[in-house]
Amino acid sequence: MPYHEFECSKCIPERIKHAVDKTPAENLSDALPLGYLNTIPGTLSERGCAYCGAKHVIGTPMKDVIHLSHGPIGCTYDTWQTKRYISDNDNFQLKYTFASDMKEKHIVFGAEKVLKDNIIEAFKAFPHIKRMSIYQTCASALIGDDIKAVAQEVMEEMPDVDIFICNSPGFAGPSQSGGHHKINIAWVNDKVGQVEPKITSDYVINYVGEYNIQGDQEVMQDYFKRMGIQVLSTFTGNGSYDDLRAMHRAHLNVLECARSAEYICNELRKRYGIPRMDIDGCGFGPLASSLRKIGLFFGIEDRAEAIIEEETKRWKPELDWYAARLQGKKVCLWPGGSKLWHWAHVIHEEMGLEVVSVYTKFGHQGDMEKGISRCEAGALAIDDPNELEGLEAMYKLKPDLIITGKRPGEVAKKIRVPYLNAHAYHNGPYKGFEGWVRFARDIYNAVYSPIHKLAFVDISKDAISTDKNFVTRQMLSDKDIDPAVVNSKELHEYTGEFDSIKKLRNKEYPKFPQKGKLTAV
Amino acid sequence: MPCELKEKKRTGVINPIFTCQPAGAQYASIGIKDCIAIVHGGQGCVMFVRLWFSQHYKESFELASSSVHEDGAVFGAVQRVEQAVDVLLMRYPYVKVVPIISTCSTEVIGDDIDGVVNKLNEGLLKEKYADRDIHLIPIHTPSFKGSHVSGYNVAVEAIIKHFAKNDKKDKKLNLLTGWQNPGDVKTLKHLLAEMDVDANVIFDIEEFDAPLMPDGNHVAHGSTTIDDLENTGSAIGTIALNNYEVGKAAHYLEETFDIPTKIGPAPIGIRNTDTFLQNIKELTGKSIPESLVKERGIALDAITDVAHMFLADKRVAIYGHPDLVIGLAEFCLDLEMKPVLLLLGDDNTTYTEEPRIKELQNNVDYDMEIIMNADLWELGDRLQNKGLKLDLILGHSKGRFIAMDSNVPLVRVGFPIFDRAGFYRQPIVGYEGAMILAERMANAWFTDMEYTKNKEWLLSMW
Repeated sequence: MPYHEFECSKCIPERIKHAVDKTPAENLSDALPLGYLNTIPGTLSERGCAYCGAKHVIGTPMKDVIHLSHGPIGCTYDTWQTKRYISDNDNFQLKYTFASDMKEKHIVFGAEKVLKDNIIEAFKAFPHIKRMSIYQTCASALIGDDIKAVAQEVMEEMPDVDIFICNSPGFAGPSQSGGHHKINIAWVNDKVGQVEPKITSDYVINYVGEYNIQGDQEVMQDYFKRMGIQVLSTFTGNGSYDDLRAMHRAHLNVLECARSAEYICNELRKRYGIPRMDIDGCGFGPLASSLRKIGLFFGIEDRAEAIIEEETKRWKPELDWYAARLQGKKVCLWPGGSKLWHWAHVIHEEMGLEVVSVYTKFGHQGDMEKGISRCEAGALAIDDPNELEGLEAMYKLKPDLIITGKRPGEVAKKIRVPYLNAHAYHNGPYKGFEGWVRFARDIYNAVYSPIHKLAFVDISKDAISTDKNFVTRQMLSDKDIDPAVVNSKELHEYTGEFDSIKKLRNKEYPKFPQKGKLTAV
Repeated sequence: MPCELKEKKRTGVINPIFTCQPAGAQYASIGIKDCIAIVHGGQGCVMFVRLWFSQHYKESFELASSSVHEDGAVFGAVQRVEQAVDVLLMRYPYVKVVPIISTCSTEVIGDDIDGVVNKLNEGLLKEKYADRDIHLIPIHTPSFKGSHVSGYNVAVEAIIKHFAKNDKKDKKLNLLTGWQNPGDVKTLKHLLAEMDVDANVIFDIEEFDAPLMPDGNHVAHGSTTIDDLENTGSAIGTIALNNYEVGKAAHYLEETFDIPTKIGPAPIGIRNTDTFLQNIKELTGKSIPESLVKERGIALDAITDVAHMFLADKRVAIYGHPDLVIGLAEFCLDLEMKPVLLLLGDDNTTYTEEPRIKELQNNVDYDMEIIMNADLWELGDRLQNKGLKLDLILGHSKGRFIAMDSNVPLVRVGFPIFDRAGFYRQPIVGYEGAMILAERMANAWFTDMEYTKNKEWLLSMW
């Protein structure tokens, strides 16, 4: 059995089943690490809480909503300005956050009255916002406030507002994943079916499990619009509250992050018969086949092919410029959940990177199954990693790069491993054809950082080379590669703008004639 | 009445200035050497606070969670603490100090962290870790009381209470720094060195600015040792900077060990630095050396260049930690500026008794508002809807959108600052800090002049 025993975790034997080495002849049913189990206390696990999974991951990317947390101030403060889910309405959801600021007297006497005052105040402060999400926290769950009843009361008094309640306290489950589930189910139970949308296309989708990190959603929406597809709603990045109440009228649910949002797709299939199609916006190959699949579903393959051809022609020479220089570089792919399988194979196939390790903080066994099957033999797969295990793995594997969260990235930096932000990205978006080039560019810039190379020199012991006053990335990256590649006239570095999203906003799209009035599938 | 002290009228918070108590206790904990705190609560209470510190410092700090899940919330979760302590001690052989920090959830369910510490002291530590010097310190920081500022205050008191002894040989001066940055602590230590004073620096966080070295793993950490902490009970005097952050610990030392105590302002600005040195002089008998006269002179020379030409009459709003806000307001007045809005972001009711606020109320000759229990919407609403005119805002990074949307330059000062590089390295205390602050404000104003074409030509000849 290829379970991987960490030296640092020998004293906590239950950890052994949480890590495996992928061997060439592995059998996934033998080798799958345990997943989504209770965290071992005191390990310095990287996991967050179920409140964060519900509010910060899925709730808050909704753009036209007052996001109010019912509890003490910390939960609100912590989940404010700590992610990069932008929107095309001037980032209201990033800029403003709301807390009922529960105090001791409320713990003793209940906080329903103060919550009601809060709701009214918040709507009054932002009169143009008529929608609200309220998130339960550990404290409000434990004292048993009936948030739904309070919201109902307000909705009766203020008929133009609508309020969504998410009961997902921090302790609800081993990680943020519990919160993903809770908010998915709450939304489909309480809000879907309440709004009848205007259907403007023969092809109508919900784009699900997409959070518009640095503009990912807007990139993908651009392709859908160019195909003449109506994106009825996005769950939830750059998504609109009322659009999401109309999810039941889509013909297809296009699912990006199956870890965080498959639940709502499965419910929509059960309740409204809307099929679920899993896609992948990352990487030329997976993105192209995703667009093809959607085209095939609607019988508009030609529209998908036209986009694939145009985008590939535009961006492939830039991707290949980086790919030529990244061959064989070792990467620890250590994201939160779904990116371990969204990226594991494709950064190998399209950029030549060797994925020497995958991990997931809050993924389930299914995520590991996909991730392990997609990464190369020899890779170390870790469930719910903790800080010492991460360090031990990096010392052993000596990666050229780690792709992980912000704070774990700082841990890697200290042992001279450069990092890229897997959750919020460095210079994203990373979805789309251009985005994938941006990702390759960021990887290249991290791996060949001349400053980073200086970190390995011990000026007290090593010979100091005095022959160079500077080193460029290309002086480092091009010395061992084929001169034909170096001198290629076709391949070139990324040529896009610092902000690749601006050009998509207010863009005009082709009008495809509608065949007829459509009803829901 | 020109200077009005009042409470925010709304019940809720829109864009908080402060976070909750456990975050403050965690900030105190990371100041101690060989210490990893266990936060008893949900995992987010640690994960986000570690992120918060890493946003500010671009460093990672070690903090653990007891990972309370649903079963613990229902049936009690003290056994999670027991397990966490054991796992932590097994895997981190250098750890000596383990604060156990409570949160809202574990306070509501009534987990007895004092009881579990006693149990561990009598059981696990004796049986399994008898050869190690381990200190478990229960710290009660329910999130529904106070803020991270009071959480820091509570934690420093609990830590000092645990360690302070009056029979230590080293008789030094206690310097309780309050919530500072590494650059500030470096400056405070420099001032002490110039005065030839040995001090127990609580907490010495200079190493929070950690290096990237050719080998090894040089994680950011605090440098205050158990010895330093024990020595606090035997000190010749205590200087506590920032009453709201270390006042409790200072009072404890004063009352328990009869240690002469000065609870004074952080040395923000020239005048408060003078006071700081005067306090050191009184408690130690040391004199203020010529070198500091010169340092002061350099700062005064630099500040004179920007004060009455550029900074005079500039209208500013200030938000952040109460001691910081008051200190900055005092310095701004010396700079001929007009702090017109001060935001104190928690429900502390003692601000009405604060002598430094009373001084402002008695002497300010223009309209100034001081808002208690404030949030950042008190600022945003006034700017966007009520016609407040400001030239500058002083505060931490969480106010960045309100400042940007109102086109008022935000001069970053306080905690956290995540949208400017390296500010934790630049002191705002001492003479050097005064100079840096004045110049930072002036430079922010200069950039604004240039990019809003507001007499941008003025600086061509300066």
